[in-house]
Amino acid sequence: MSSITLRDIRKSYANGPRVLHGVDLDIGDGEFVVIVGPSGCGKSTLLRLIAGLERCEEGEIVIDGRRANELPPQDRNIAMIFQNYALYPHMSVLENIAFGLELRKVPRKTREARAREVAETLQLTPYLDRKPGALSGGQRQRVAMGRAMARDTSTFLMDEPLSNLDNALRNAMRTEIKTIHQRLGATIVFVTHDQTEALSLADRIAVMKDGYLQQFDTPAAIYDRPANRFVASFLGTPKMNFVTSDAVTGWTGRRGVEVGLRPDTLRLHRKKPGAASIEARLTLTEMTGSEVVLHCQTQSGAMSAIAHRRQDLPAPGERIWLEYDVAAAHLFDMHSGARV
Amino acid sequence: MTPETSARALWIINGLTLLVAAIFLSPVLYSIWMSFQTSDAYYSGGVDFTLRNYDVAVGQYNFARYLLNSVIVSGIVTLLGISFATMAAFAFARFEFRGGNLMFGAVVATLMIPSHITLIPNYLTLARAGMLDSYAGLILPAISSGFAAFFLRQYIRGIPRALDEAAYMDGATPLKVLWRVIVPISKPAIFSMALQLFIAEWNNYIWPLVAISESDLYTLQIGLARLYRVNPGEDVIDWPLVMAASTITILPVLLGFVLVERHLVRGITMGAVK
Repeated sequence: MSSITLRDIRKSYANGPRVLHGVDLDIGDGEFVVIVGPSGCGKSTLLRLIAGLERCEEGEIVIDGRRANELPPQDRNIAMIFQNYALYPHMSVLENIAFGLELRKVPRKTREARAREVAETLQLTPYLDRKPGALSGGQRQRVAMGRAMARDTSTFLMDEPLSNLDNALRNAMRTEIKTIHQRLGATIVFVTHDQTEALSLADRIAVMKDGYLQQFDTPAAIYDRPANRFVASFLGTPKMNFVTSDAVTGWTGRRGVEVGLRPDTLRLHRKKPGAASIEARLTLTEMTGSEVVLHCQTQSGAMSAIAHRRQDLPAPGERIWLEYDVAAAHLFDMHSGARV
Repeated sequence: MTPETSARALWIINGLTLLVAAIFLSPVLYSIWMSFQTSDAYYSGGVDFTLRNYDVAVGQYNFARYLLNSVIVSGIVTLLGISFATMAAFAFARFEFRGGNLMFGAVVATLMIPSHITLIPNYLTLARAGMLDSYAGLILPAISSGFAAFFLRQYIRGIPRALDEAAYMDGATPLKVLWRVIVPISKPAIFSMALQLFIAEWNNYIWPLVAISESDLYTLQIGLARLYRVNPGEDVIDWPLVMAASTITILPVLLGFVLVERHLVRGITMGAVK
């Protein structure tokens, strides 16, 4: 069992501003939770508090039903993967992976066997004698994973572990992490600023901004029912379009609110359709693969929509209509930004 | 530059380097050469190879004992000095504690105090503790090096803190982090500081002169100085004998330097670019 509960966690640094303002999280056994948010939102601080690398003076951290505020990192039995991997440069890959076991006085034969087994899983066997300096970025990342996996623990903290990898490797490692999670059934808390990573990996996502937890829910729930304007704009590519209800042509929904329209809910028309639509001028098209992102200018500002690549696409400069569905629109309070 | 001119330039550079090296080495080589001459041959301008000077220095003037004393004192001072400096450096580099900055300021301030100023207080302290004329009296005042602590602290600050944190997450205690992570990574700096501590203690003359009066505890530097006064020669110093004693004095340091030279140079240059 490995659950983590955070109750009213607040954190300030000496002579600095408060970086966390009362965060509550309940992370269940075997759950994959991604903490996502822009730089400086406090997500890494939250992770470091769970790890014990920062002192938690306000609030309570409970790990496996036991208060952990006063426990040093080495007594929390949590493995962590760092953004820059933090591999010991003077140790070989094998020694790096086995170091945690060595510190826990596991006999040499047992720990080497365990390290080799983990290395085999991560396809690191050919590099066991190499030092981290002689490895590529992807291999280093896998060693960092291996070091965490070799430990006899079922709680893993990952601080932006994929951010230093190129796109192809990042996608491959993302799948690998998901596979490992499924196989080990471990509890994982993963920090990232990449919303695609968050949506694709998480069982539940915690969205943070300026030290406040904005929403903690499943990826689908967060995408479909964002708690506020920030969450709506942070998750989803391209970003959600926002227009005031009064500026939406043919709007039949609630008035005096901000309307959020996901680009993938807008349908492109080259002639004015019978249904409610917004008139726009196409300014730019951007191919992303099977789909094309349409950047348009409307009377109420810039908007984007998604069209299928095979569709008969207009040329930049042409007049188009974006049909919307009132039921699919998200409504936010004009002042607080909260979902209404 | 063509391959021919670059080869010629390389020859010139090598030649000049050898010449400069020869100029620097010449006093040492001359003294070693002189140590193998008889006194008569040296003063008459002749050449007469002998090992007698070494025999006299070791047998008659007790240089084997002085050598042993120097090795014991310098060895222990280096071992204890580098250990304390490394631990202090780790604490100053990695932990925030009440008065830490003040303490570090005090350590740095010791670099500005001329060592001779501490002679009398150290002498009085050790005299009261009854430690004069003992190895402890030679060793204790030298085991704290403000410069080594300062240098190593700067080096350790250059090591990413994430490595310590990774070790803590792996289950290490602060002492384990120091021993298994920081020390191996800081090896070049530690080697370089250790050698500097060793050389400084090996060449230390004033403190042993003040603290020791028993000849059995003389270090090489004291023994060497006494050789001028006690050697026979009726107004004439027996230079070949002095040079034999000098050679005994410098050889261990030279050997040590050759062994850790690579680390020493790396340690010094690394401090410059960190």
